[in-house]
Amino acid sequence: MRAVANARPNASVQPTSSLSGQAASSAVAPQHPLSERPLRVALMSFAHVHAAGYAALLQSMPNVELRASDPDGGNEPAERRGRGLADDLGVSYVDSYAELLVWQPDAVIVTSENARHRPLVEAAALAGAAVLCEKPLATTLADALAMQAACDAAGVTLMTAYPVRFSPAFARLRELVQAGGLGALLAATGTNNGQIPVGDRAWFTDPALSGGGAMVDHIVHVADLLDALTGLTAQFVRAVSNRILHADKPEVRAETGGLVTISYAGGFVATIDCSWSQPDNAPTWGGLTLQVVGTRGIADIDPFAQHVGGVGADEAVFLGYGKNTDELLLNEFVHAVRAGRAGQPDGAAGIRSLKIVLAAQESARTGEVVSIR
Amino acid sequence: MNIGLIGAGGITHVHIPAWLALGARVTVFSLEGGAEVAAQYGITAVGSLDELLDACDVVDICTPTPTHYRLAERALRAGKHVICEKPIALHPADAAALAELAAFVGKQLHPAHVVRYFPEYALARGAVAAGTIGEPAILRFSRIGEFPTWASWFADEEQSGGIVLDQMIHDLDIARWIAGEVTEVYAVKSVGDGCETAQVVLTHESGALSYVTGVWGAPGTTFATSFSIAGSTGVLKHDSRADASLRFDLGAPVAGTQSMRPDTSLGESPYLSELREFAAATLGGPAPRVSLADATRAVELAAAANASIASGRSESVVRETVAA
Repeated sequence: MRAVANARPNASVQPTSSLSGQAASSAVAPQHPLSERPLRVALMSFAHVHAAGYAALLQSMPNVELRASDPDGGNEPAERRGRGLADDLGVSYVDSYAELLVWQPDAVIVTSENARHRPLVEAAALAGAAVLCEKPLATTLADALAMQAACDAAGVTLMTAYPVRFSPAFARLRELVQAGGLGALLAATGTNNGQIPVGDRAWFTDPALSGGGAMVDHIVHVADLLDALTGLTAQFVRAVSNRILHADKPEVRAETGGLVTISYAGGFVATIDCSWSQPDNAPTWGGLTLQVVGTRGIADIDPFAQHVGGVGADEAVFLGYGKNTDELLLNEFVHAVRAGRAGQPDGAAGIRSLKIVLAAQESARTGEVVSIR
Repeated sequence: MNIGLIGAGGITHVHIPAWLALGARVTVFSLEGGAEVAAQYGITAVGSLDELLDACDVVDICTPTPTHYRLAERALRAGKHVICEKPIALHPADAAALAELAAFVGKQLHPAHVVRYFPEYALARGAVAAGTIGEPAILRFSRIGEFPTWASWFADEEQSGGIVLDQMIHDLDIARWIAGEVTEVYAVKSVGDGCETAQVVLTHESGALSYVTGVWGAPGTTFATSFSIAGSTGVLKHDSRADASLRFDLGAPVAGTQSMRPDTSLGESPYLSELREFAAATLGGPAPRVSLADATRAVELAAAANASIASGRSESVVRETVAA
């Protein structure tokens, strides 16, 4: 998943008022009567490629103050990180997480490497901030449960960054299903095929930091959609994977292709193709599709399909115009924090889909069908 | 060429026009409806299997699945070449026995795996073989239609093998044709309210992985097929809905009108291409693109998928030797 970076350089630390008159966001947060002061949002780490996109979107939101820190950014001199990236984005920056939390943010967004979410979420919770954590919530169940426990103990909310939940196409599908338009649900096929995330951030292909390969990257979105759509409990997971795609890239150290089959309580079944199979030279990063089969009909969604296509001088053209789901995700987070409620998808949703990923990894490793507890 | 066609169901009405277009003389025998079929096409109907066997050189079996084995056995023993609808048998052992018998009597048995004759699948197979997308890695195949209510035996798994053996066997065969021999099969199935859908994951010897899904859906479901083949240097895709050269919008689809098989009216009928290849082989021509061994293997894969659905585990389908 790549966010559309709408970065507009801005030296000010004040909330942006676009002089061009064309703000990137058309969303207006309803002013909660109890919290008219600016909402303080802290961005922890620029490790994830989404950090820059989130920063740009938050800067365009009314009544939001943004501050960031990326103390580990210096470890990757080849990548634009730390104060340099903050300057590019026009984001207020401090040198340490401690300093960032002393600022007493109302909300924290964690965009560190997948395996490094836990200490940042725990620190944010301890500082009393509501947390939005990049997906996957963690790379181990122990970490995810500890993060949820830390937020519960501190009385703050935890939300998982699953932007596709906010796709208008998914919302329509959900309405259709809830109205019984598909009858009883029987099965689903999901695909989340993207270009391999190499080049932007080296850690994506280091299993120690990313938690794995295509499975950890691309199962969760579809798994979360199925969770939200059906409310069913996943019981058994069987997965197979291979490394045929991108075998020529020495930096890739995990599976690049995978097929994951999930059996749910009540007989519903689903298979997810989570492969990094979008070719490097494709005109768009990839996409996500979900086909749901019911006893009264079949529905297909393709949330990233809306585009103008064609052929340019050198390559194919793909001009997407679908809703920016990252923006809708951040709107939900900000509204939820202002209203003092838990945003959805919450930490529990993040844990449920993480369990499916971990079961898939175990299944691919052992060849067994794995039960989810 | 004298064709003795058995059966008067859906596929009969595709094969007879193809045979007539190929210049063959067709005699039909069916327990029911043979006279009507004969009248419709101006061909001869006979009243018994013996009469049919006396009247033909090649037997074309277009009957329900559970009769394939006995009829093929009878025709082979009568010294006839045989063309048989898929699946060639309900059980892998029966398919293997037919193969043995055909070899023993020195007659040909051609399985009608017609999807190999659909241009989109043949082109994809050729492109993969030519290296267009490098080494195949992750393949997906989908086949969707309404539940076949036009004949009662489809709904009886004892007679049809369910959606896996009757419908998905097409794509199980295609996946193996394109990505090579299969070593492991895992499958799940979901059934409700007159609908049936299954999902099968194949592990190929090469390490490639295939996902095959089939749907027998609600009445009026439009027939649709699609595939995606991702390889080390590229991706091939086809979707019968998106890639159609002709589309009508005539309001809501009517049950039973759009789901038996895809529209092939814009090119040569793949059924005719298939029968031409089989006919040529019986006259000493080259071996068709699909062999009896392929068909036997397809039955084995489908049976393994059904076994996996029953056991909840993946099933090994490794064989010591697989005849070419």
